[in-house]
Amino acid sequence: MDPIVPLRGKHDQGVSAMKSRLSVIVLWLLLACCMSFTTGPGPFSVNPAWAVTGDGTALAEIEDIRPDEDAAEPAAQENQPAETLVDDPSEGDFEDEEELAGLEQDNGNGVPPIADPIEPFNRAMYQFNDKLYFWVLKPVATGYNKVAPERMRVCVKNFFTNLAFPIRFTSCLLQADFTCTAQETGRFFLNSIWGVAGLFDVASQEGVNLPKQDADLGQTFGVWGIGQGVYIVWPVLGPSSPRDTLGTVGEFFLYPVSYLNPWYASSGVRTYEIINDTSLRIGDYEALKGAAIDPYIAIRDAYVQYRYKKIEKKRLKLFSAPAPAPAESVK
Amino acid sequence: MKKHLILTVILAVLLVGVPAYAATPLETIKVNVNKVLEVLRDPSLKGESTKEIKKEKLRAVYYKMFDETELSKRSLSRNWKKLTPAQQEEFVRLFHQILENTYADRILAYKNEKISFDRESLITSKQAEVFTRFFTASAEIPINYRLLLVNGNWKVYDIVIENVSLVQNYRTQFNDILSKNPPEKLLETLRKKVKQS
Repeated sequence: MDPIVPLRGKHDQGVSAMKSRLSVIVLWLLLACCMSFTTGPGPFSVNPAWAVTGDGTALAEIEDIRPDEDAAEPAAQENQPAETLVDDPSEGDFEDEEELAGLEQDNGNGVPPIADPIEPFNRAMYQFNDKLYFWVLKPVATGYNKVAPERMRVCVKNFFTNLAFPIRFTSCLLQADFTCTAQETGRFFLNSIWGVAGLFDVASQEGVNLPKQDADLGQTFGVWGIGQGVYIVWPVLGPSSPRDTLGTVGEFFLYPVSYLNPWYASSGVRTYEIINDTSLRIGDYEALKGAAIDPYIAIRDAYVQYRYKKIEKKRLKLFSAPAPAPAESVK
Repeated sequence: MKKHLILTVILAVLLVGVPAYAATPLETIKVNVNKVLEVLRDPSLKGESTKEIKKEKLRAVYYKMFDETELSKRSLSRNWKKLTPAQQEEFVRLFHQILENTYADRILAYKNEKISFDRESLITSKQAEVFTRFFTASAEIPINYRLLLVNGNWKVYDIVIENVSLVQNYRTQFNDILSKNPPEKLLETLRKKVKQS
């Protein structure tokens, strides 16, 4: 579950905005414009400021490795603030250069920063989502909290999680992660039959021990080696990247609720699901925002860290190799 | 007489041996988290009026458990040296205040959720990560602690909640501010933030 984005559904990033197939097609077109289907780390994902280990040589190395991409994507360069490229003489003051390097590597976990060329747009969308949460979603969820006991809300959540089985199953399959596929299948039948159509998560209980698999389509693309690309904040859906947006679109088609007829029945169910999810997480977003110096940056970073780790864990499991982080290539 | 001698020797060895023994990272976390839980569960400290007493007690645990300077240093990373010693000191203080203002209430809202202390992994002989999970009604939240061996004691310098490292998250924010502004501006922002809450 994504801890950072209150507006998203658990597995699918809530698609109540997509009211018809038409909007999906529009989204695809949009995607085609901004998405680069390069395998390996995306062209935007290198930020020399982070890769430089203390002297300018590392920077030069990056340019050697990826000359064409830098040339092809001037936007990425613009996004890197010029001052971070300039080596800071004060860095020499660090008593122990090695200590500094260790400090950064260790805490960075090799998480590459995300390029944010459309920051003004994203900030506007962040503001919109923030207001949507405080003005609409939170009051509604709080009211819903009062009438629906927590137990019931957990059951509702379990029900939708079970219903989203095709998303996780397909993702596991596309990742060629067959233990994951088998576990998901087992879970689905157990919970659907013994868990009363998924209301109870009997499969996660001790003794059965088939926990929900942490798999989604965006992660699958990441496991395949597609880079994260640039940061996008969608209205309603929240933080995303071209890769994860494509995942969300795919998940829309894999989620049975999307096929409800008429379309407003589907949207209604999705909205209810989002409200139910939110009702179980009131306070999380407030805490994150309260702790942040710049909430926009804090959420962007949390999103990147969360997605990166999710993919890296899968890669470690499948290939015993971490994701090809661009920052790591120059370490 | 001989017996006494042996006993004295054993006692002496024990006394000398005790300070040299360092608890494992996992034990350290377990002990400290349990101390926190003790405060939170203390029946004599129920109600709103005792909030400040609880906070005071939690602060004591926090100082034992965390290495504040290390946490600040890592959050600023290469920018740390741009601050004068006085600024560094103020930064540590302000950063502490911000973390306390946000997380104290979250911790005080604890409702007897289950916590499981899973395992530890040594990154180097002086650095470790402890894996725990926090079970809410609807989800399980992985919380990892990163520790450093300081003078024979394991001290926390970073918390990773659901894959998101606190230090890394703040570093991105501080970096963003400091790439465009002098350190004084950052301190001013932090001062404002502390005043707000």
